[in-house]
Amino acid sequence: MNDIATYCSATYTWAQFTPAFILIGVAAVLLMADTFIKALPKRAYAVTAALSVLLVGCYTVSGEHTNAYSFLACLATGLSILVAYDYTKVSCASIAGGTSDEGTGEFYALPLVACAGILCLTQAADLIMIFVSLEVVTLTSYVLAGYFRRNQGSIEAGIKYLVLGAMSTGILVFGAAWYFGMTGTFILDSDVVIKTLSGSVASGTVAIGFLMSVALLFLGAFFKVGAAPMHVWIPDVYQGAPTPTTTFLAVASKTAGFALLCALVVPFRSKLLAIPGTHVADMLVNVFAVVAGATLLIGNLGALFQSNAKRLLGYSSIGQAGFILVFFLNLNPPDFLKISEHLSGPVEVLTYKYLLAYTLATVAAFFAIAMVRTQRGSEEISAFRGLGKTNPRTAFLIVVSFASLAGVPLTMGFMVKMASFFALVGAMQSWTYLVWLLPIMILTATAGFYYYFKIIRAMYWEKPQSGDKPLCVPFCTACVMTACAIALIVLGTWPLLTAFK
Amino acid sequence: MTIPLAHYLILSGILFSIGLAGVLIRRNILVVFMCLEMMLSAANISLVAFSRAQGTAGIPVYDAQVLSLFIVAIAAAEVSIGLALIVAMFRARRTVDSTSLNSLKD
Repeated sequence: MNDIATYCSATYTWAQFTPAFILIGVAAVLLMADTFIKALPKRAYAVTAALSVLLVGCYTVSGEHTNAYSFLACLATGLSILVAYDYTKVSCASIAGGTSDEGTGEFYALPLVACAGILCLTQAADLIMIFVSLEVVTLTSYVLAGYFRRNQGSIEAGIKYLVLGAMSTGILVFGAAWYFGMTGTFILDSDVVIKTLSGSVASGTVAIGFLMSVALLFLGAFFKVGAAPMHVWIPDVYQGAPTPTTTFLAVASKTAGFALLCALVVPFRSKLLAIPGTHVADMLVNVFAVVAGATLLIGNLGALFQSNAKRLLGYSSIGQAGFILVFFLNLNPPDFLKISEHLSGPVEVLTYKYLLAYTLATVAAFFAIAMVRTQRGSEEISAFRGLGKTNPRTAFLIVVSFASLAGVPLTMGFMVKMASFFALVGAMQSWTYLVWLLPIMILTATAGFYYYFKIIRAMYWEKPQSGDKPLCVPFCTACVMTACAIALIVLGTWPLLTAFK
Repeated sequence: MTIPLAHYLILSGILFSIGLAGVLIRRNILVVFMCLEMMLSAANISLVAFSRAQGTAGIPVYDAQVLSLFIVAIAAAEVSIGLALIVAMFRARRTVDSTSLNSLKD
């Protein structure tokens, strides 16, 4: 074990965690202010929280320890706090039972804590850090999911999320324990794994324990991203949780899940094929292929029959996670596939781009749902009826975001879905039999067009009822939805313009 | 006489399985919670046993014990949130049976 002792502790610097400390500090100040300064309107907390997390996001981009997921997490958290800002009417009614904003302050401060957890997660290189930072995210999310305690759906979502989340945590730490037992360290590093595996080829005993630990770790990560065997919580929790929380879970928590998954595949990146007698790389690819296929089918086919917009986006988030999982089949992209820098690259970059497209479109969709819920009192798809007539500009912005989720050309969603298909083709160079995934991807991408266009159909083809007034679009909603739509279109057309120069 | 590593691992495996089965089968949310705690305790037993087994000359590798301390702390936080949610659920529905959680479905 002495040779492994050199890996025994991961090295971290304080500077890596500066953004997380800032967020924790702001959250602590807000919580104290919430307790002691009763006169301050709670919406001020929302503005402070959103601004600080977006500024920290800018800081993570410029900082030395930059990580694309950190920026994405900050962006997603900031936008979901802004959803909460425009959702105050419903929040007040569901928390204090009237128009008083008593007790709503924590609702804006807690996402900062969760975001700090995600920032730590993106810097993690060993399982202890991964576990603790992941729990910071999930424990906060349980509170946020059950926050509307006068609302049956919110309580139910909170309890379901807590039970299933705690189960996945148990699975993850059991995997971590066995990872430690088999390798002697918590560090995720390919040298550690290669040493363990090449030592076990002769005896044949360690490998089983090691594979079990890796399987348990991946199961824990699949829960966070909502992949196939661990997806059951998503539709219920997304539907029941308060809309700002659902936004947070759909974008920020999903970013955390994929940051975790990327950290877990680090040891399996490059050198594994060099060990004779083990088929770990093959096994990993097979597992990811089956999980991706099942996730695509469950998410996209389950979404077909939904009538609740939040539940629809829940299934959609499962389906989108399936497309991202396809990137993981191609951990070492071959050079000859570089048709365009926009369509291929390392798995982290592709995952980041997909998540960015997904985040921009999903946040805009949730802003629309929150607005419709506040003013028409319903989250059903039918509540979007006639928006094309009454609010033509808002309806167009909603169309852009749902078109991007479906993958219509000239939006960013098309580019990233295309990249997912290219990743599969790249993986087929090494594992030809993966061709079975291709029809599933085509079928599910087509299904996406059907169910995302249900909302577009409700807006343009259904007539507004006699009592329907035009929605009054809040300033913040208008700004964010416009910015998201512009970003989706620019990022979707720019690669095309530069590719054929 | 020392107890071999395998005995600890078998015990922790049994505890983990009982916990997982309980989460999936039992209907009372409080019992489900105890089962969740049991899963975490099973991981703790494995961690401490492995920490001793990986050590040299009687000195364990403390990394694993650090993680088990974190697990205890986080399990406590999880229970406090969970019990708060159960109290809220009992106030709303007058029951802590998981079959009554049926307002969200397809």
